[in-house]
Amino acid sequence: MGHTIAEKILARAAGLGTVHAGQEIEVKPDYVIAYDFPGYTDVIFKQMEEEFGIRKVAEPERFALFIDHMVPAVAPHEEELHQNTRDWGAKNNVPVYERMGIGHQVAAELGYATPGAFAVHFDGHISQLGTYGTLAIGVRRHLLEAFVKEHIKLKVPHTTRVNLDGALRPGVTARDVFHHIVRVIGPSGCRFNVLELGGTTIADMTLEGRQTITCLAMFTGAITAVINPDKKALDYALPRARKELDVQYSDDDASYTAVHDIDVSTLDPVVVIPPNPSNTRDLADFVGTEIHLGYLGSCASGRLEDLRMAAEVLEGRQVKDGFQLHVVPTSKDIMEQAAREGTLATLIAAGAYVTSSSCDYCFGRMGVMSDGQRAVSTGTLNVKGRMGSTDSEIYIVNAAAVAAAAIEGCIADPRKYVKS
Amino acid sequence: MAIENLHGRAAWVFDEIDFDVDQIVGVKNIKIKDVDELARLAMATYEADFASKVQAGDLLVGNSNFGYGHPHYPPMIAMRRLGIAGVIAESFSPGYWRGEIAMGFPQVSCQGILTKVNRWDELVVDWSQDKIFNITQDTEIPFEPLTEGDQLMLEAGGIIGYLHERNKAEQDNE
Repeated sequence: MGHTIAEKILARAAGLGTVHAGQEIEVKPDYVIAYDFPGYTDVIFKQMEEEFGIRKVAEPERFALFIDHMVPAVAPHEEELHQNTRDWGAKNNVPVYERMGIGHQVAAELGYATPGAFAVHFDGHISQLGTYGTLAIGVRRHLLEAFVKEHIKLKVPHTTRVNLDGALRPGVTARDVFHHIVRVIGPSGCRFNVLELGGTTIADMTLEGRQTITCLAMFTGAITAVINPDKKALDYALPRARKELDVQYSDDDASYTAVHDIDVSTLDPVVVIPPNPSNTRDLADFVGTEIHLGYLGSCASGRLEDLRMAAEVLEGRQVKDGFQLHVVPTSKDIMEQAAREGTLATLIAAGAYVTSSSCDYCFGRMGVMSDGQRAVSTGTLNVKGRMGSTDSEIYIVNAAAVAAAAIEGCIADPRKYVKS
Repeated sequence: MAIENLHGRAAWVFDEIDFDVDQIVGVKNIKIKDVDELARLAMATYEADFASKVQAGDLLVGNSNFGYGHPHYPPMIAMRRLGIAGVIAESFSPGYWRGEIAMGFPQVSCQGILTKVNRWDELVVDWSQDKIFNITQDTEIPFEPLTEGDQLMLEAGGIIGYLHERNKAEQDNE
């Protein structure tokens, strides 16, 4: 019996010949990644020193910190948190990346998405590094273990394989594909498993689209997602990789919990209705629902192809009077490219409010809603209160549908505005 | 060291699949830091006098994929303040599971529990046998054994104690 890519990566990182799903191992993460957030990094720094007497980490090159939430700070205590992070990074020789974008995306840009590497973060959306054959797991408070100990205890996860086949119709994006996966396999369809993605749709998909899907794996119950890296992924990831590691691939006879074959060739745009990320519906059934705010951004969406698609929809048109359209590119590099090619100019001319990269629009710190308001969003989540009042509502859609709603002031089928 | 068996009543049965634990205190209260205030708010929309009915050691029972969504810590902080000693569910969402195990809060994954427990049944979670004994109904139900890592973390009362124990064990081996 062969092994999955997840088993192979963990075997290497644990210094073992082979491991199998279900086995408990002690494994050394290649990268320990976090963004500064109250209750997480500030507490970890304190506990390391006060509880465990660790004044400096032994291998600073394994660690990376991002400042992407509460950017820019709006209160002194937020800036104090950031300064504490900068100070800790300087003392430990650990890089602190700030104002470069959302950390999960910037981590890929900076080479932490090393094919064959094992990474941990407290936040589950780090799973998007799986686009490049990296096994990246969000472990919540267990991250302290990776700051205190060289090795962490981990049960080797089983893997569920999802094969996606078929060409996507115009106006249908990776975002629709992910939420369709949830609709098909269910919110616990991949529970405690690694979600391994493949098939012709993935092969034809851009790296950006793959990151959208791997980013959201947690909503299938998965602990992370991974794609066996193809030339496209390696061409991006290897030149910037921070470690030289053997690239790993699942064996043809690897063992899976389940294999799902999903045809996406007839998929239409979807909407995920509040208040749960598993509520995938056909967007067509919600056309006309009044919407007050649109958010295009986040670690899941907000990359060049999302911005371009929104610009295509909005070119020569205007955001409806009274509608608030917030566009937040996922990283500085993405924003710069979008500015150079004119995509941002199109969005701005149409009435979009474009701001520099930050996580703050996604988790209700900026651009929030009041009671009774309703948003379309490419953010990660649609639970109550995620973007302001607990009496507001979030409908998750693709980038083109955010733009279409901005024109019409209601949920609208984006396909009538999409040329390609 | 061993985890102490749990012995208490089923103080509530959440029959909703994919239950979002934030509903326990209400999403609008999720940022409240005061534990007593959280405890006062807990379950208020389900049963106004829930707090007065709960005894120390009582347990919660849940359906499958318990903790799905974007679970925060305050709901179970509130439950612990009320005396709740653990959660038994058909199955758990991984993010919720990891978070609460790191807090040292016992979670028991037990397929079939929902059909074998009524509210206020007296239950014993026996970690040595990996079985739940329903004293009221005189039945027993096997549950999924903990991983070694999760067991060590619950024995140590959470991640801090667990890491101290790991350090101690390594020093003893040197």
